[in-house]
Amino acid sequence: MPLISTRALTKRYPGGITALDGLTVEIGEGVIGLVGANGAGKSTLIKILLGLLPATEGEATVLDLDTATHGARIRELVGYMPEHDCLPPDVSATEFVSHMARVSGLPSGAARERTADILRHVGLYEERYRPIGGYSTGMKQRVKLAQALVHDPKVLLLDEPTNGLDPAGRDEMLALIERIGRDFGMTAIVASHLLGEIERVADWLVAIDAGRLLRTAPLASFTERTGQLLVETEEDGELLAQRLVGRGMQALADGRTVVVDIASASDGEYAVYDAVRDEAVALNMALVRIEQRRHQLEDLFRTGGTDERVA
Amino acid sequence: MSASPEAAGTIYDIGYRQYDGPRLGRRGAVMAVVGAGLRAIFGLGRSGRSKVIPWGTLILATMPAIVAVAIRVLAGDLIELYSYDSYLWQIGALLPIFVAAQAPELVVNDIRHRVLPLYFSRPMSRFDYVAAKLGALSLALLSLTLLPVLVLFTGRVLAGDDVVDAISNEAGALPAIVGTGLIHALVLASLGLAICSLAARRAYAAGAVLAVFLIGSVVGEILAEAGGFADVAPFLNPLAIMDGTRQWLFGGSVAESPVRAADVPLALYGLATLVVTLGAWAVLAFRYRRISV
Repeated sequence: MPLISTRALTKRYPGGITALDGLTVEIGEGVIGLVGANGAGKSTLIKILLGLLPATEGEATVLDLDTATHGARIRELVGYMPEHDCLPPDVSATEFVSHMARVSGLPSGAARERTADILRHVGLYEERYRPIGGYSTGMKQRVKLAQALVHDPKVLLLDEPTNGLDPAGRDEMLALIERIGRDFGMTAIVASHLLGEIERVADWLVAIDAGRLLRTAPLASFTERTGQLLVETEEDGELLAQRLVGRGMQALADGRTVVVDIASASDGEYAVYDAVRDEAVALNMALVRIEQRRHQLEDLFRTGGTDERVA
Repeated sequence: MSASPEAAGTIYDIGYRQYDGPRLGRRGAVMAVVGAGLRAIFGLGRSGRSKVIPWGTLILATMPAIVAVAIRVLAGDLIELYSYDSYLWQIGALLPIFVAAQAPELVVNDIRHRVLPLYFSRPMSRFDYVAAKLGALSLALLSLTLLPVLVLFTGRVLAGDDVVDAISNEAGALPAIVGTGLIHALVLASLGLAICSLAARRAYAAGAVLAVFLIGSVVGEILAEAGGFADVAPFLNPLAIMDGTRQWLFGGSVAESPVRAADVPLALYGLATLVVTLGAWAVLAFRYRRISV
């Protein structure tokens, strides 16, 4: 049973901008990376899931509740961390987070207790009694995360959680998200345009582009081997490629790199290595690097989202 | 939360605790916003400075009632300092000050610092949010528009020679006291919040509220004195509009009020109050619908 599912979800804004274009996807448990370029439709999807924006067409359910009709119930069970600044400067983190817990429907005693717990989990200690206006960006991001967590939601929607953070702050925020997915028993959907970060925390990816689903799969399958051997040489690789082709393999030179199709060698993977070695020796050509080529997350978007990439 | 024996050893990392207690939903959310609004208005849990205006105006508004009761106790029925009818008109200047100082607290920062998406991503709608803020400010305003007159009422009852007799004498005034207090509170809160919701900063909001009340009454007075527009004058001043409505509903004119000088049917004041209130609600609806989340 998926936690979240959308069917032919389309959102057109007045003015003709189509943010989501027939998106159909099912999302299960874990830390889910929602990746796409800026403007791909990530934030729009999150707002529809929260029941804050009506879809133009299609439907979406969260925890089996229809976003169009059960928005209030969904919002009770979901935590949301917006991309933008959203904290009042003149109250303390403790006061603000416990107020937000109560607005989520927690009784005041529970709100106070959970606020103390959560602020400690996100790493805010003495400073939590000081007004938020004096916090660093990193501390503010933690407060934003805390207010999304404080009512113990089943699903967490994080929109660009590392926005504006320095490298150390990013590391800490990513470590926190990883821990939430592992220890808190929540499903976290992390929207980001930074693939390198998503790669570190997500165990499943949903890639969207121009409002359409590009691919949804476990993270590992995005970076699996391509079945190609990448050979980097010190000089032009054309001669080496020709010789490998002469041995009945598929090889292509591009400047100083030669890409060899491993499957094209009839005697298996090691025959390819051997052949590259022998031909390089025969040509008296220096090799810089030989490696199994892997898909990169970036490949998804580099190709502009052509259909062959959709799993 | 019950303390288990082994809890003592695991102070530093107790791990994540899930919550399976009650969730109060939309009602809980609205109550939380009303409660926090009241605390903000009266500066509870905040610095002493933020308590000055709300508590200062509250004391100033109640003082005349206390003095009147004291005089009555000491001097008997000799002097009638304040009547139920004129009380709100006489403390009238305090009302805009209270609204100007405290209404911005409720709405301006939530808009300015984009906190609203955090409210709307919880079990509360835009309508719930505005209604809760309006409720908080109206309730707070009752401390000026109802409480002092109730003090006067209670004092008069208790100061009488025969309390039972006094109750039967004074009780007839209660519907007017409560009705007037409620109308003033709701109209002032609606108008105040609508003005504040349009302001970018709290200081601008406060200035705008004061301007609406001051300019209206000053221009009205000038018109009445110089141009003979006595019929128009009270409609420029929200406090006069409400006083006219009070007279229309409950009777009892006030010597200083411009309503006395104007020669228009009292029902027009009721209509004006309705227009002002609905207008303020329309502004709020427009303003909060426009905020994107």
